[in-house]
Amino acid sequence: AAEPWPENAALYQQLKEEQILLSDNASSLAVQAFLQMCNLPIQVVCRANAEYMSPSGKVPFIHVGNQVVSELGPIVQFVKAKGHSLSDGLDEVQKAEMKAYMELVNNMLLTAELYLQWCDDVTVEEITHPRYGSPYPWPLNRILSYQKQWEVRRKMKAIGWAGKTLEQVLEDVDQCCQALSQRLGTQPYFFNKQPTELDALVFGHLFTILTTQLITDELSEKVKNYSNLTAFCRRIEQQYFEGFDKGSSAPVAARSAKRSLLR
Amino acid sequence: PQSLLQAYAKFSGAPLTVNTINNSWRAPKGDVPVLISEDVVISQPAKILNFLRKQKYNADYELSAKQGADTLAYIALLEEKLLPALLHTFWVEAENYCSVTKPWFASRIAFPLSLYLPGKMSREALNRILLTRGGPPLYSLTEVEAQIYRDAKECLNLLSKRLGMSRFFFGDTPTTLDAFVFGFLAPIYKVCFPRLRLQEHLKQLSNLCQFCDDILTCYFRLTVSGCSPAGQDTADANLQKLTQLVNKESNLIEKMDNNLRKSPQHPPRKLTTLKLAAGGEESSPLNRLSP
Repeated sequence: AAEPWPENAALYQQLKEEQILLSDNASSLAVQAFLQMCNLPIQVVCRANAEYMSPSGKVPFIHVGNQVVSELGPIVQFVKAKGHSLSDGLDEVQKAEMKAYMELVNNMLLTAELYLQWCDDVTVEEITHPRYGSPYPWPLNRILSYQKQWEVRRKMKAIGWAGKTLEQVLEDVDQCCQALSQRLGTQPYFFNKQPTELDALVFGHLFTILTTQLITDELSEKVKNYSNLTAFCRRIEQQYFEGFDKGSSAPVAARSAKRSLLR
Repeated sequence: PQSLLQAYAKFSGAPLTVNTINNSWRAPKGDVPVLISEDVVISQPAKILNFLRKQKYNADYELSAKQGADTLAYIALLEEKLLPALLHTFWVEAENYCSVTKPWFASRIAFPLSLYLPGKMSREALNRILLTRGGPPLYSLTEVEAQIYRDAKECLNLLSKRLGMSRFFFGDTPTTLDAFVFGFLAPIYKVCFPRLRLQEHLKQLSNLCQFCDDILTCYFRLTVSGCSPAGQDTADANLQKLTQLVNKESNLIEKMDNNLRKSPQHPPRKLTTLKLAAGGEESSPLNRLSP
């Protein structure tokens, strides 16, 4: 943990164009944003079996030196052990608030994304199944996606989301966005001047929701209702993802401004 | 959920009469607690809170938008970090379950449901813990348990830091968040379990203990030791009788627990006095102390 950050650190996720799903894309983008904010270089590597390579079964994971760490929470701690942290300047109460908001995003936004992908029949048929198994030949692709669907549905049932309708889920998303919007207010970042892992997480999810095409636009409409959230996403995109070839997950129009190295 | 709702009702001044049902089947969809108001039936705590708010019993009236947002965030934190440990303490930890939760629960509901329902709730609790927290790299139940208790202790620490020296989370009047935190903390704080990991940790956080005691004394008119004064409760006379009966039962339960601990082969005694609505995963003898 005392070694410096190597040049060849890599972040693994599924194939960007054909395979990756909304929720995984959001998580991956959140980690990328976090590392950008810490000024740590990372290469994004796409592999079809990224999920299976991950130590916890979830993407994204990073391969740094000879260590492999997955998911934003453990990655933040790993990076902290290496001496980089975004939340050191916060006092105890603010840290508690930050953790609470991160749980809110995970609890509501991520679960809503999972619900939409795996429990909404139309989306499952038309988007999820074809994408999830796309690198594999038939019948493996169908088997893998049914297996994953069964797993996700079981979890939804255990936490009580299985009985929800799509409208209720969208309402929850709206409530969550409203809370985030109210917390953000007119500040540039959630904790005023400096971005933290919360900003990275929120950016990851909101940006992905705004830029991913689903069957309907209802989900992204919910986010668009809050103009400070869309401005927030645009700001982070401009500041941390400009000049990045294909690093960000959505097409970014080529701009002449260079990525700002100053925070 | 039950103590949470009662606390919220107290905070917002809603007239809430506790209806006792001794048969969970009768509650629509088997869910308790259930709010029934003029033919509208609502069954989950969050929905019940929404309903109360729409009826203008709103404890959050004074909060700013940001505070409302904070409320949601902290509730998510509680559900994610504290709830698994709470479920575990009540329903999965073998000693606790066998000596406290199951006999208490079983005594509240009619035979033969008492044979089936506690087991079902225990299985569901374990299921939920494993599905939400049990993935790799945690492979055994003991590792999962260690992780959830670590998370719960961290959560308690965060709550303690957030509460600081104030009386309630948002100033001087209690709000939804206080009801939620109370609903989660009170069972840990008050119920006497054989295995006390979380309770010991909680007792070290004196501001949270003070918070619980405050709410119990002010809103539930109970002194810290758990006896209800003969007093001037502004609620119904019914509620008052309930409290008194409930106290007698808590003494009986404690005796029962002691007996069970000494001789595990004793069958659970059926209590023929008052049967209170069986709460959800957080139901505890404490709920009977709070009218």
